[in-house]
Amino acid sequence: MKDFRLYDITDFVIDEDFVRWVYERRPEDELTWRNWLARNPDKHLLVAEARTIVQSLYIAPPAIDSGEINAETDRLLQTIHQQPTAEPAAPVVPIRRTRWRAAAAILLMLMGGACWYMISHTTDRENYTWESMTATRSLIEHVNTSDKPITIALADGSALSLSPGSRIGYGNHFDTGSFRDVYLSGEAFFEVARNPDRPFRVFANELVTKVLGTSFTVRSFDSDTTIQVIVRTGKVTVYSQAVTTTRRSATDHKPGEVILTPNQQLVYEKLGHKFQKVLLDEPLLVVPRMKEQKMEYEDASLIMVFSELSRAYGINIVYDNELLEKCTVTADLKNENFYHKLDLICSAIGAAYEVIDGQVVIQSNGCQ
Amino acid sequence: MPLHDTHADQNLLHQLQQSDEQALATLMKQYYADLYSYGIRFTTDTGLVKDAIQEVFISLWQRRNNAPAILSFKYYLLRAVKNKVLKSLHQLHHNTPLADWQDGYPFFQEFSIEKLIIDKQVSEEKAIAVRNTLALLSKRQQEVIYLKFYQRLDHGQIAELMNISRQSVYNLLHETLQKLRSLWQAEFVK
Repeated sequence: MKDFRLYDITDFVIDEDFVRWVYERRPEDELTWRNWLARNPDKHLLVAEARTIVQSLYIAPPAIDSGEINAETDRLLQTIHQQPTAEPAAPVVPIRRTRWRAAAAILLMLMGGACWYMISHTTDRENYTWESMTATRSLIEHVNTSDKPITIALADGSALSLSPGSRIGYGNHFDTGSFRDVYLSGEAFFEVARNPDRPFRVFANELVTKVLGTSFTVRSFDSDTTIQVIVRTGKVTVYSQAVTTTRRSATDHKPGEVILTPNQQLVYEKLGHKFQKVLLDEPLLVVPRMKEQKMEYEDASLIMVFSELSRAYGINIVYDNELLEKCTVTADLKNENFYHKLDLICSAIGAAYEVIDGQVVIQSNGCQ
Repeated sequence: MPLHDTHADQNLLHQLQQSDEQALATLMKQYYADLYSYGIRFTTDTGLVKDAIQEVFISLWQRRNNAPAILSFKYYLLRAVKNKVLKSLHQLHHNTPLADWQDGYPFFQEFSIEKLIIDKQVSEEKAIAVRNTLALLSKRQQEVIYLKFYQRLDHGQIAELMNISRQSVYNLLHETLQKLRSLWQAEFVK
């Protein structure tokens, strides 16, 4: 296993896996690298630079179409038909056969391993269904059988909106224990009353979302292949019970926790136990009063504009302070959506941006 | 890149050993674009490159009995195409001794800045600066970059294909990357 934390830029640029990610953008690579970046936020700029270098080394495929390739293949087949069949040489040496058998044995073992993994994995998932979560607990339950969301007020002052086809449960000690725990099957939007001493936890299949006080949505229908957590305000911590159990038995490490901030969405793949953090397509303003504040700028400092933008949407914007110090912006951003605002600013100062792991990374030469 | 070929390739090579023409056709279709791309680095004569690829596959067919012994099929093909193309070019220029020719064979490389402009939203000036830097690389530096980033060979295979040491491959690669780094450096901060 490579330790990418020790990599410098050149190491990344010449790494086969890294190059494949940049050029091919396979979904499995995206997930792996985004997770790695989530765990190593200090490596964002390094990775962004390495990506740019790899991208500048891109070489276009040759101008030859499949028609020409088919014609060349036909030409080859014609040639070998015209030629007398070559005398078969000595048969394959036994050594190669042995090697084949060894390869087959390894393959079988790997397949066996895969079956074992799937069996154990299925059992694993069954541990986190609604039934298993609630069987040993006596809960107060609400089920929404209507076709509209219903609002439920909780004893601690929190409220939730329960989507159709969803159910929620909580224990008798909800308002007295050291945690405020609720169990969810389906989808609900939570507005949690702030109480730093008693964290609020939502158990949805194997995923646990932990907050102090904030608003967010959890979507976890048994039939879905993913569990999603979307944050509107505040900060939430999400971790997987499945991951926790596996990790604890193996290495006693701290469970992999993901922290979500506003306008970030977490997608958890149940099958692969994988997290992916994404930005919402349409980020909403998180500070309501910013709505009234006019986002019109004249010769305004770029750093100030970025910090206002960052605060208004609760989205982290990464940039180089020194380089952008002299940049100014004159723009009217009030009716634009988040990405359009970024586009306008970046084109004005000749910069570019990338969304990496739920954050915006600005690339720029700076201004004179 | 794994040293051994994928199982799919190995299966095709075993079918080839059984004189399966369709396996030969499949292998050609699969690797044609990569081989053609490499061939046209040495000459602008596309007809010569196509003939060279034909010859490589004809000789593969003639030696099909030993086909499954080929460990890295892509490397084998790239090497065969390079040898054939350079040999044909040499025959067209009788007066040059082969040894001289092989040291200084040409290598044409274009980097596509359009993609850089579109994907990274960098300015055209910046993209042109990148292209100019890459254009100033030596032929051998360009070949290393090509084999590494386009064909994705490993350093050992690049060394063998270019008849140089692994250390030279690393040095050629490193010099190029240093140049690119200093070009982009202004855009990033440590």
